[in-house]
Amino acid sequence: MLLYASLVLLVIFAILVCFFRDLLYAAVSLALASVMLSVVLFQYGANIAAVFELSVCAGLITVLFVSTVSMTKDSDQANESRLPAYFLPFILVLFLGLDFFLVKWLAGSTLVGAGFPATPGLTFQNAFWGQRMTDIVGQVSLILVGVFGILTIMRALSERRKHD
Amino acid sequence: MTEDVILLLLSGLLLFMVGVYLMFAYRNLLRIILGVEVMAKGVTLVLLAAGVFRGSVEYIQALIVTFIIVETILAAVVLALTFVAQRIYNSLDIRNLSKLKG
Repeated sequence: MLLYASLVLLVIFAILVCFFRDLLYAAVSLALASVMLSVVLFQYGANIAAVFELSVCAGLITVLFVSTVSMTKDSDQANESRLPAYFLPFILVLFLGLDFFLVKWLAGSTLVGAGFPATPGLTFQNAFWGQRMTDIVGQVSLILVGVFGILTIMRALSERRKHD
Repeated sequence: MTEDVILLLLSGLLLFMVGVYLMFAYRNLLRIILGVEVMAKGVTLVLLAAGVFRGSVEYIQALIVTFIIVETILAAVVLALTFVAQRIYNSLDIRNLSKLKG
């Protein structure tokens, strides 16, 4: 029951992101959607992924969003069209129909069931540090790309200011 | 497929579509990034559905953790770019970022 409730709340909070005019409320709604997603992950026993989702997505990304929104508060937000939010209920009906069609097609697809068989008794540690070792190299490189990327972007801005 | 997998797939695909709609319908750069984040939530749900279907949630956890890292780095870099774009153009409307045109 908790699973169904959290899934429904997750979808509702994600849809509310479109409805909120204020970007701060939209960011908070996204954070609540992340919290609901971590509850779903906990329910299926994906505890480590759930903790990551809760701390990184609901925490860090929300902080980044809120700080960017407060640093970039300008005239643009007021001029934003409300048309996409008004159209959303009709679009959602269309999306739901497409969604049912896609899942029905996937359930009857011959692709389902293909691939590697699941390893019995596999732990997260074995999967992460053993079978997905190359992912860790990718993650470290990505973190470095992020750090150096942000440093370069900020340096470009400060050099531009000096030039002006 | 079990009921749970179908439900996870349905919600995941719906979130993905809502994210795509956010990206296409709005002109504000920050809303477009919010759309990417909503899409990412949908992808995480579909990954979880795959793990539940295969009966190997432990294995799929490793992929979800990697995906969360990718999502976070993407958000951080794009938000920094948004901040710089706002300082340079004094606007977050993507129609005003004309210098990005090829």
